[in-house]
Amino acid sequence: MASRYDRAITVFSPDGHLFQVEYAQEAVKKGSTAVGIRGTNIVVLGVEKKSVAKLQDERTVRKICALDDHVCMAFAGLTADARVVINRARVECQSHKLTVEDSVTVEYITRFIATLKQKYTQSNGRRPFGISALIVGFDDDGIPRLYQTDPSGTYHAWKANAIGRSAKTVREFLEKNYTEDAISNDNEAIKLAIRALLEVVQSGGKNIELAIIRRNQPLKMFSAKEIELQVSELEKEKEEAEKKKSKKTV
Amino acid sequence: MAATFFGEVVKAPCRAGAEDDEEEEEERRRETPEDREVRRQLARKSLATFHLGSQSAPWTRDTNLRSSCLSLPQCRDYSGTVPSERFLSSTPSGREVRLLRRQTKASLEVALLEKYSCSRFIIAVGNNAVAFLSSFVMNSGVWEEVGCAKLWNEWCRTTDAVHMSPTEAHCVFYHLKSNPSVFLCQCSCYVAEDQQYQWLEKVFGSCPKKNMQVTVLTCRHVTDYKTSESTGSLPSPFLKALKTQNFKDPVCCSLLEQPNIVHDLPAAVLSYCQVWQLPAVLYLCYTDVMKLDLLTAEAFKPVLSSRGLKGLAKNVPQSTEILRKLMTANEVQSNIYT
Repeated sequence: MASRYDRAITVFSPDGHLFQVEYAQEAVKKGSTAVGIRGTNIVVLGVEKKSVAKLQDERTVRKICALDDHVCMAFAGLTADARVVINRARVECQSHKLTVEDSVTVEYITRFIATLKQKYTQSNGRRPFGISALIVGFDDDGIPRLYQTDPSGTYHAWKANAIGRSAKTVREFLEKNYTEDAISNDNEAIKLAIRALLEVVQSGGKNIELAIIRRNQPLKMFSAKEIELQVSELEKEKEEAEKKKSKKTV
Repeated sequence: MAATFFGEVVKAPCRAGAEDDEEEEEERRRETPEDREVRRQLARKSLATFHLGSQSAPWTRDTNLRSSCLSLPQCRDYSGTVPSERFLSSTPSGREVRLLRRQTKASLEVALLEKYSCSRFIIAVGNNAVAFLSSFVMNSGVWEEVGCAKLWNEWCRTTDAVHMSPTEAHCVFYHLKSNPSVFLCQCSCYVAEDQQYQWLEKVFGSCPKKNMQVTVLTCRHVTDYKTSESTGSLPSPFLKALKTQNFKDPVCCSLLEQPNIVHDLPAAVLSYCQVWQLPAVLYLCYTDVMKLDLLTAEAFKPVLSSRGLKGLAKNVPQSTEILRKLMTANEVQSNIYT
């Protein structure tokens, strides 16, 4: 039944599906995991780093990209589609700044990206973008924001979310562990993001990339050493918690 | 092409892009080696004839393989006649399933499970199931190769059906040295519909022993899973089981619901076991990653507690590590998805 409605994305199936949009969401699941957390004074983006070929320049394989000084985005899905969307978003950020002399709000640029994606679900001869994006940043009012977009062109604000492969597992972890206490402290928010990723990332900290934005500060990408430090702190805390547990049972 | 005033038709450049069309035409006419092999096999097939029950029907290109029923054992006459010899004699050698001995590489005269006594037969179909068995079961004991099944069809990468190299054996059979009645089959190739019957005949034989239990492991893409829920909300990878009537042991996961069906070789094996009243269970892993994937292979872990695989996996943490290394070794660098 599905095959009759696969060909043109402008065609609904009898039960209201747009199969091309749903297939695009499957393409998102082929990308590695990305997690976003909105803290009280910080926003965190963590991604599972893709393994890079020996001769490939690691610098050019990036899942976290800055859209403007105060907004950045992580994506999961088709690399080429992400490049096109990011370029358009960056141009829009600058165009907005030149036109109205104000930086974009996080919601504005998210809406722009979502509108762009929606257009591609309603045109003949085009296919939807095969990416989901997590967009984070601070607005001028100092409030941290986290938005998620998907191939259908919808966007929603989140306190914490994950996209890509194993997103469901990470989201379940976040639902259990995201508390106001956990995100009140910047360091705790960073640790929450790393712990969420470690649920699904193989071989630990060396496959994680992390970026944060603090209020009135530019985007900061963590180096591999800083991430290893955080991971080893987490492991120590885990050991101590286990020791305490075993003491209690004795 | 253009028509001249004098009524001739000549080749002329056309602004509408006829040259490109000609190039496309040329490319279409160019045959790949695979195309040539397929044509050769189809031509041979069109000369062969076979008998369907009491009727004699010429085998033509238009014959529908699905309706032939030869790939599905239910359609056969199980009262004692064995039409397999007639079928085999008419099968073109290119699509024949050959079962070879390990050492001599000579063909086995009898079916594999008629030659050896078997109490447990575990079949892995597909690369994730094969990887799982290799890491968890084969690394926990000493397994000896007893034979291999060689076959060719349009899905095979090699175009030469006759001179396939020995390293390209696609279905390999092992038995456990410490308990030779435990058999394992690693099948990482596609067995076409018209070859499934031959495969079953050559492995199980025409009259299989009733004291054998069969376990099949395979994968399928989650979009093939029919459910009222959205596939986005399904916790893939997940396991479903389908068993024959004679399988009385508890299964390790929920049963496969209707209207979902099983396909290809696992379906043929299960159908065969159902007809011959053998206890058999199929564990089907629905996954969103069809290539070799750690999560998908690990999804088969609950099967280790089943009767079919009990006692065969010794060191699970070590096996998980071996599986991880296997995944890393087989990873193909791709930049399409990030």
